[in-house]
This record gives sequence, C-alpha cells and structure tokens, in this order.
Amino acid sequence: MTSADPNPLTTHVLNTGDGVPAAKMDVSLHRLDSTLMIWNMLSVGTTNEDGRCSGLVSREAFSPGMYKLRFETGSYWENMGQNSFYPYVEVVFTITETEQRFHLPLLMSRFSYSTYRGS
Amino acid sequence: MAGSPSPLTTHVLNTAMGVPCSNMALSLYRQDPSTNAWNLITTGTTNADGRCPGLITKQIFTSGVYRMRFETAQYWESIEETCFYPYVEIAFTINDPGQKYHIPLLLSRFSYSTYRGS
Repeated sequence: MTSADPNPLTTHVLNTGDGVPAAKMDVSLHRLDSTLMIWNMLSVGTTNEDGRCSGLVSREAFSPGMYKLRFETGSYWENMGQNSFYPYVEVVFTITETEQRFHLPLLMSRFSYSTYRGS
Repeated sequence: MAGSPSPLTTHVLNTAMGVPCSNMALSLYRQDPSTNAWNLITTGTTNADGRCPGLITKQIFTSGVYRMRFETAQYWESIEETCFYPYVEIAFTINDPGQKYHIPLLLSRFSYSTYRGS
C-alpha cells in the first residue's frame, strides 16, 4: 500500500498550549537545489480545522534530496492576539527512500515546539 | 572569556542515548532588520556536558530576531549513525535583552524539541 500512496509527505500541526489542532496556519514545502544551493518552493498551503495540510508534494515529484517544511507559527499566534518566541519554524530533513511515507507533525506552543518522524 | 556569563545559553541532549551531545558544532546569527540578512555572531562547539558557554556578551545582546544552527547530522555521523535532520535551526525573537534566555535542544535521530527554559 505504501508505494501506491499519492501523498508521500504529510504534516499535522498541534497547538499544545491550548490542546487544539492549529488551524489556518500557512505551511510551505521547499527542496534544496544542491547545485545552485538555493531553496525552491514546491508548494504552499494552509492547515485545515484538524491542523492538517494535504497535497504538499506528489509521489511523482518526490525525489531524493534535502527538504524544508516552513510553518508560519508567528503569524498564527499573532492572529490569535498573542505573541510567541518563534517567528516561524523550519524543519529541514533528508529524504533518501522516496517509496516510503513521511509524516512530520509539529507540536507547538508559544514557547516550545517539537517534531518527529511519525506514521 | 572573562566577564559575566552569556545572557543566551543552550544545552544539547541526545535523548536517544540519554547523554549530552558533546562536540556538536553550532552557530548563532542575528537578523539585520533593515536588510533581513543574517549576520554571524559566533560559532562554537558543545562541551562534554552539551553546553556552549560564551555565545554572546551582554553588550551586544540587542533586541531582534536570532537564529541558532546546530550541526546535527555531523554529530550523528561522528558516532557512526545517520540523522533525518541535516541540521536544526531555531529562530527566536528577543524583545527584552535584559532577561536570560536558555534554549535547549533535545535530539534523537528522528526527532527534536526545543523550548524556552531557564
């Protein structure tokens, strides 16, 4: 089943400060062009009511390389009338096995965050 | 490195093995608010306890957006393991440089977390 999964990369953003999914957060996916050493934006989206954002990259476009997920956490907290310690969160990761699935959640509050490779 | 301790500190822990991350290279940058360019403030390496004293002095610790970069894959490679994260960068905003800021990094090969500590 995993090789046919059209969504090889997913995320889930949780507001651990309030115990709710982080809805309406802007997220973008970038891949590093290792020849030019610049980041190319692949997609941009907004998390839904469940804190998820689908369609970040297709199975066809998912080549090995260095990727970056950028979460606009600062804007998220500002929209809720609060400040936060982090203006944004960027998670940079290396993909070598493109037939696998990668679920990369972000658990965040105003003064902390964590991420991991999930499933 | 005489004088008062750095108002900004870090502590890197290898949560997979239950040890401090020693000998990890790291660097601290501050963003220039007019150009948005990042200026390197200091580079360092964690000691045996996973700490890196002397990151910045009170004199130059101004308000602004900072970024700390940790060479995580290089660290794991030095103990013959791979890491999902080639590096970890934590960007944070300092509004009151009179306070102390402790920014730990808890790290394994496939996860990390950070928080404003003390």
